[in-house]
Parts: sequence; C-alpha cells; structure tokens
Amino acid sequence: MAEPITLTIDDRQVTVPAGTLLVDAAAAVQIEIPIFCSHPKLDPVGCCRMCMVEVETPRGPRLMTACTTPVAQGMVVHTNTESVRSVQEANLAFILANHPLDCPICDKGGECPLQDQTLRFGPGVSHLVEPKRLAKKHYLISETIVLDQERCILCWRCIRYLEEWEDKPQLGLFQRGNDTVIDTFPGQPVDAKTSGNIIDICPVGALTSRVARFDFRPWQVTRTPSICVHCSVGCNLRLDSRTHTLRRIVGRENMAVNDQWICDKGRFAYAWVNSPERLRYPLLRRDGRLVPVQWREALEYVAERLHTLREEHGPDAIGFIGSAKLSNEAAYTLQRFARQMIGTNNVDHRDGGDVAAWPVGIPALAHLMKPQYGPDPQVDTVFLLGVDPSEELPILDLHLKRSVRRAGMRLVLAHPRRIELTRYRGPYLGYRPGTEVALLNGLVKAVLESDAELPGEARERAEELAQWVAPVDDALLQELCGVDPDTVREAGHLLARSRQALIVYGPLAARGPQGPAVRQALVNLAAVTGHFERLAYVGLEANSQGVRDVGLLPHRLPGHLPLDQTDGVRRLEELWGAAIPTAPGLTYSQMLAAAGDTLKALYIVGADPASERPAWAENLEKLDLLVVHELVETATVERAHVVFPALGWAEHDGTFTNLEGRVQRAPKAVTNPHTRAAPDWMILDHLASHMDVDWPYADVRAITGEIAQVVPSYRGLTWDALGDQGVQGDVDAARPRPKLAPATQPPLDPEPGHPLVLVTGTVLYDGGNLVGRTPQMRAVAFPTGAGLHPEDAATLDVAPGDRVRVVSPHGSLELPVHVDDRVRPGTVWIPEGLADAPVGALLDGIYPVPVRVEPGKSGE
Amino acid sequence: MAIKDYLKDAIEIGKAMGVTLKHLAQPPVTVEYPFEPVPVYPRFRGRHELRRYDNGLERCIGCMLCEAACPTGAIYVEAAENDPEDPVSPGERYAKVYEINLLRCIFCGDCEAACPTEAIVLGHDFAMANYHRRDFILTKEELLNPPEPNVIIRPE
Ligand code: SF4
Ligand code: SF4
Ligand code: SF4
Ligand code: SF4
Ligand code: FES
Repeated sequence: MAEPITLTIDDRQVTVPAGTLLVDAAAAVQIEIPIFCSHPKLDPVGCCRMCMVEVETPRGPRLMTACTTPVAQGMVVHTNTESVRSVQEANLAFILANHPLDCPICDKGGECPLQDQTLRFGPGVSHLVEPKRLAKKHYLISETIVLDQERCILCWRCIRYLEEWEDKPQLGLFQRGNDTVIDTFPGQPVDAKTSGNIIDICPVGALTSRVARFDFRPWQVTRTPSICVHCSVGCNLRLDSRTHTLRRIVGRENMAVNDQWICDKGRFAYAWVNSPERLRYPLLRRDGRLVPVQWREALEYVAERLHTLREEHGPDAIGFIGSAKLSNEAAYTLQRFARQMIGTNNVDHRDGGDVAAWPVGIPALAHLMKPQYGPDPQVDTVFLLGVDPSEELPILDLHLKRSVRRAGMRLVLAHPRRIELTRYRGPYLGYRPGTEVALLNGLVKAVLESDAELPGEARERAEELAQWVAPVDDALLQELCGVDPDTVREAGHLLARSRQALIVYGPLAARGPQGPAVRQALVNLAAVTGHFERLAYVGLEANSQGVRDVGLLPHRLPGHLPLDQTDGVRRLEELWGAAIPTAPGLTYSQMLAAAGDTLKALYIVGADPASERPAWAENLEKLDLLVVHELVETATVERAHVVFPALGWAEHDGTFTNLEGRVQRAPKAVTNPHTRAAPDWMILDHLASHMDVDWPYADVRAITGEIAQVVPSYRGLTWDALGDQGVQGDVDAARPRPKLAPATQPPLDPEPGHPLVLVTGTVLYDGGNLVGRTPQMRAVAFPTGAGLHPEDAATLDVAPGDRVRVVSPHGSLELPVHVDDRVRPGTVWIPEGLADAPVGALLDGIYPVPVRVEPGKSGE
Repeated sequence: MAIKDYLKDAIEIGKAMGVTLKHLAQPPVTVEYPFEPVPVYPRFRGRHELRRYDNGLERCIGCMLCEAACPTGAIYVEAAENDPEDPVSPGERYAKVYEINLLRCIFCGDCEAACPTEAIVLGHDFAMANYHRRDFILTKEELLNPPEPNVIIRPE
C-alpha cells in the first residue's frame, strides 16, 4: 500500500489513501463540490465540467476537474474562489440553456441534482432569449424506462453503468456538438436485467421509471429500508409509499450484498402489493362456493376439522406446505405448528426435502464482489453447477461479470443450457441432464491426475478416491455426459490450482433421487481441490436459506437438527412442551402425490402447487380439508375449503436469510386498508389458541427471538441488532464436516420412444402470479414455448412458432417452438412458471425426464 | 310652558322628520342577502376553481406543487399520463384526482401562488355551507365546474 497523502482543501488538512480523487477527498471532510458526471461507483470521465476547483501549481492557480484529479502530496486546493464560482455559474448556465422547463411534470423534481445545484451554485437569472434545442421527449427505451432527451445533460452515467457493470453497451451518444443525444442502438431496446439502475443514477429526469411514472413526488413518500423478496440474493432496497400504497422501489446501498444495484424484477414488479385483487376476507367453502366469513368462524372451523381428522386418521394424515418466500418467522411458526400441534413431520416447501441441499450457502458475497473502490475479490474462481445467475440471481450475475472483467476472476460453468455467462472465457461443460455425478467424478479424476498437491484428508485417501472415480474415462465423459474430456481436465486443473474457488450448485442439479449422489460428488470435488469451506448450495427463492435454517423440512428440525439427535430434540420438546415425532415426514412432492389418498388434509401457506402440476391439482380436490394462506386468488385457492388472507412482505415485519446466510429485516412499510388479512404467524398463533394452546408470541419480534434461541447459527440475533444492513449468521457453525464417500452415477434409463431430455429452470421474468401483475413486466415476460436446438428442430422438421406436443411418460404439454442454439442438442428447454405452460405436467419428481416432441395441431 | 317652547320643539321635530324624509328618498344600503349578491373586493379569496384553456384542455398538469405549498394539507392530487390521442391537459401529465378539503383550507392562496399553470385559483364564492362533511371535499369535477365561473387572475 502506498503512503497516505496529505493535502489542503479550503485551508483544511486532509489525509487520504493515494489514488483518491479530489472529489472524494473533499467529501471526506464534508466539503461539497458539485458534480454531475462523477459517480462513486463508476469510472471518472470528467465530461460535465461541473466539479472545477482551483489547484495551486508552480505556475499559479489552475482550474481542474476534481472528479478526475488524484490527490498529490502537499496539494493546495480551493473550492470556493471567485473563479471557481464563475465557472460553476457559467457551466450551469450552459447546461440550463438547453434544458427544458419541465420541473413541474418531471419525476425527478424535488430530488433533482440539477435543481439543487442550480439553487446553490447557479446564476439565478437566465440570459437566454433564443429558443431552446428540441429533441425527442418521453419515449420508451425499454418496456420499463422512459427517456427524455431534452432533459439529458450528457453525463454518460447510464452509458457507463451499462458498460462497466452490465457489460451490455446498450445506450450511446449520437450526433455531435449541440445536437448530441443519448439513444439506444437501432432496433435494440435496453434489455439488461438490471437496467433500472440507470434511473437511480441519472442526475436529472432524463431517465425515469415507466412503472412509477407520475405516481409520487419525492417529498410525499415515506421511505422504508427493506429488502427484495424475489430471489435469494436479498438485495437491499427502499420502499417509497404514500396513502397506503407502494409507489416505487429504489436500490439501497449494502456493500456486503448488492453494492447499490438491484435488478429490474425487484425494482418494477411490485404492483401485486397494491393489487385490488388481493384477498380481503377469510373464505369458507359452503355449498361448493367460497364465501367471506369472520375470522373467528374460519379459525374455529379449521381447528375443529384438524382435530377430528387427526383423531380419525392419525397425525401423519395431515401435511403442511410452506414456501421459501415466507419470512423466517412465518416458516418457523408453521413447522412448529405441524410438529407441536399436530405431531407430524409432514412439513416441507418446494425444493425443500426433495433437493439434496448443502446446509450452508456462499461464505460471503463480499468475497466475490469488485466494488469501484475496494480490494479485489478474495475468490478467484467460481464453479457453477446448474445455476444460471443471469436468470435466477441477477445481482450475483452482476458481481460475477464485474469480477471477471475487472479482477480476472475465472468461471467454470456446468449447465445443460449454454447460459449467458458462457460469453466469458472459461471452461463450459454443457452436460447431458442426469449425468451430473459422472461429470463431477470426471472433475475429481482430473484433479487427482493433475500435478496439484492434494489437501489434508484427500491426500491420505487419494488411492481410494482414484478407485471410486476410475470408471469415468474419456469415452464415458464424451458419450454419457456429452462433454469434451479436455475441457473437463482444464476445469479440474483450474479448480485445483485456484487459491480460493467457490463451488456453487443449485436445485436444478440436485433434485430428485439422484440428488444425494450429486451432493456427495460435490463434497469429494470440494475436498480434493481444497475448497471445502466454499462449497455452497443456493436456493432460488428469497428465503430458501432461511426456511431450511428454521426447520421447514420433513427431515430436519430448526438449526438443521437431525430428528435422531436426542439432546437437541429434547431441548426443543421442552421449549414447545410437546413430543416431536422421530420419523421423517413426507417431502413436498410426496405430500402432493399422496394428497387425497393417505394424506387427508393439507395446510398450505403461500404456495401454489395446483398451478405447478395438473396431477397435483386433481389430488388437491380429493382432500378432506385444504387450508390455504394466500395473497391473491390462485389455482390452489380455488380448490381450498378455507382460505386465510395473508399480508405480503411489505405489510408486516419479518426477517429473511439470503444466500450467504445474512439475516435481514423487511419491516412493515404500508398498511393495506382494503383487506382484513393478517400475517401468517399470527394466523397460526390464533389457530393454536383455538386448539387450546397459547403460544408466547406477543409480536413477531418474539418469534425472531425464539429462532435465535433454537438455531445455533442465528444465536444472539435480535430485530434491533439486525439494523438495516442485516447480520450474517455464523455460517461456519452450520457447515458439516467433510465426509468422503463414493458417489455413483445412477444409470440413465432412457424411455424407448422418448429420445430427448427435458431441461427446466427458472427465468427472471416468468410472468408468474406476482410479476405478471405489473403490466409493463408482462411485456418482457419470457415467451411461452419449448426451446429446441436448431439441429433437433431440423430433424423434427419444425420451424419457430410451430405448435408441438411435448410428451413425457407422465403427461404432455402443447406449446409453440423456439429455436435457440443455446439449448443443448438432445434437450428440450421449458422454463418453470410460464403463462399457460405448467411444465410440471411432464414431471413426477424423477429427474431427468425423457420426452419426445410431436408436431401439434397445425394452424391457429 | 310658554308657547315659544312648543314652537321650538315643533321645529326640532320637523328637522328630525326632515332627515327621515330625506333618507326616505335615498336607496337603501342593506344587501338583501341571500336574495342579492354581496360585492367583494377583487382580491377576495373564496372557493377554489380549476381553470381550463380556451380549447377546453385543463390547465392543471397534476404537478402537486399546490399540495406541497398548502400549509394545512387540504389538497390531494394523483397524477397520470395523458393519452396523446385524447389528452386531458397539454403535455404528458394531468391530474387524475384533485381534491380540496374546505374544512381544512384557510384560504391563504398559497396553492394559487404555487401553481405553475395558473390552474387553481381562488374565486369569489364564499357561501360554502353544507349539511355533510363529505360535501366539503371538492372533487375535480366540482372544481372544474364552479357554480358561478368567475375566473380572476391577480396581478400579484
Ligand atoms: S431534470 Fe430536474 S431540472 Fe430538469 S426538468 Fe426535471 S426536475 Fe427540472
Ligand atoms: S440520460 Fe441521464 S444518466 Fe444518461 S447521460 Fe443523460 S443525464 Fe446522464
Ligand atoms: S437480484 Fe434478486 S434480490 Fe436482487 S433485486 Fe433482483 S430479484 Fe431482488
Ligand atoms: S388556499 Fe391555502 S389552505 Fe386553502 S387549499 Fe390553497 S394553499 Fe391550502
Ligand atoms: S463531475 Fe467532474 S467533470 Fe463531471
């Protein structure tokens, strides 16, 4: 590190690290230098000339741009001299000469740096008599962003953001001189997944949100620091509300999570909060119809029915399904209710017990971020298996792209689809779905055969390991996995040689019966490469990590406590005052398969399995009792006997745990006066008291306290301690010891007549129940369809747009075709959650799913 | 009592009667309110009105500056985007909701001063009694169509 530098700004001594820019040095001692183009998270360009300061040089005082001049030892700087002021005035006069008088209708008005600086540093009077320049006003550069070229002051912030962070140069300067304007490139609207951030950083109202357009004035809104609940990154954001409605969402800085960026889904897809279609009253089915009733009546009914069904059929005839979108408190109370009040371990959520997850996530997001000012990321290589950050975890994607480009981070990507990140250099393993274990064993073998030194236990058991992976030879990699053996070797060597590699896998790779083998193969790989502390599982939903931590799983109690760990179980039993059953319960998919058969009642909180699989929807109809907590009407609600209206994340307090185990607060930001809805935990609490058990929760914070008591990695967390930046739990405490064991590739048994393999996954804009309520998001939603590789499309003789029938042994689905060379040959790509395409129709919990494609009905 | 005194009294009475008779011929100063209008000063600030341009477009652009200026929080505005085919006001933005709560208003005229398009003005109507609280909240409809349009712009 170079010596710190001391300089004088306006007669004040400042000491800052070498390389600091003058603007930042001045800001450190609260000396204000007006800026427009400079931004603390973007490279300096020095194009607006607003930040002029006077620097004393041997040849007399010189005006310099503070945003591009680094500090120097003994420098003497003045920010408030006659000449500086006259330059500032002249500069503002120049900017305003062509700036429209739009303030009253401009969404930036009231928080506009141009307004503020004109007031503070501007000339006060206008000398302009000539007509102003005219340019294109308010037109869409994407479905969600409005550009007004007249208001633009050509600071390049938007251009630089898209280049430096998104690596998608989608805005540029056109024309020259007085006519220069910002615009998109012909035929290419801005479609970067985090494009909305340019609205936040635009220093004027040139870029505004179409979703929040004219919905608020900055001085009217109440600002609540909160977090995003669309994915497991857990970006920090601010909810601006007025008159009981959410008016807009903007990014909030958290240097350990999202820097200050958020993705467009988090920013724009909030219309569901204010939706008039939100459920308002508890509903009870009478004569086949759901009718509004009082809370008391609905609660009494459910309490009575649960009691009777439990008496008649035993506790294991009742199941509980939560969701990874629930807060820690809601998930905790749900599993406590199941275990204490009913006495069953039938409690799970989607991608819960069905996925062979690793109990901990990424050790720290900060280890793979490259902020504008700050050290390089610690992690130098990232191995992603079955995760597509660009569609699933957009801000993780942003961090990775940035670190690859600015800090030389290497990516190793294994995904059955050529995901967007493959545009960066690095081995890409496009394996055939279902061959994950063989591929991972191949990687282990490559490491063992390389000259890399093996760490600890792996060294001692190298021979054993070599034996386990011996069957995986080049031919197998090529024929079974469909990957190039040389690329596997390259990837293996890269992981073995890297100082700190992060090994991340997602639910796609570890669902179904082969999941445990995949997890074991990953443990082996992490152990032989020496990156065991950085093996991570990332769930995709906002609280995927948290709901696992608090025990919303059929085989684990809060704190990932196994059901047979008697000491821990006894402590819980004492706390809850009830015996906890020892047999593992049914998983999510098992419960839904058994619904209406051995399972008589389901209690579903915030999940919609009926829309996921038609077979499940039928099963739900056969239940004796279906209770649902929901925000809006869903396919599952339609089949329910009792519906409790629930509050959303913006309407009550809750905590969420992101993919690095950071527990963050989502406090109440709005009150919805149109609904009688209640928080999930409160509904369960009341239900418990209708079943004659009083839970000790006065408010949600009491539950947070109890969670901190029973989950070891959350020890000591309280609502207040979390603050507005969250606190990372003790992830190391939750990490199991490595256990090396052979991982065997289960045989692929191709179904005769089903030559292709189905690949599903999550896309960011899925047009689902929440996103689809923002009309502007609907337009960018992933189009419904089945993706085919051009070769397969040619073999099948189908053209883009043709309707085809995709048939699996479990069902079929009719869809239009997309031809896409990012889809692996031999696979069909159908994302989850598309409008009118429940890909679940083709699944039954076994992975991989063989399918065939038949030409559908032609015409229409 | 002397006759002289009687005469003197009669003269006094006659004088007084003279005054009375003189005023009998003059027009009365009382205003027969509410049957007749009460004249007010030009700068009098009464019930608000929202003005239109000559072509019928509303002047209000929904900028909410009146709302911000109002010391009593009497104004509530919600803005929306104009349909270019069928605009409500010139430009991009118009007021979808515009309400003034007369029970809060102190008739200070700050809203009028804040308005960049001279859309909201205080008129001369002061008779605003009503039977229901709800009726004291003037809607945009009522503001745009005052009972007696009396549009004034003060040269302040
Ligand atoms: S960008 Fe700022 S100065 Fe320009 S019209 Fe908007 S509010 Fe006014
Ligand atoms: S649109 Fe905004 S951010 Fe982009 S150059 Fe213009 S003023 Fe700067
Ligand atoms: S990246 Fe995830 S957490 Fe962040 S804003 Fe987007 S959806 Fe929300
Ligand atoms: S006259 Fe004054 S108190 Fe009344 S609405 Fe206008 S600003 Fe508010
Ligand atoms: S802020 Fe320095 S030139 Fe723009």
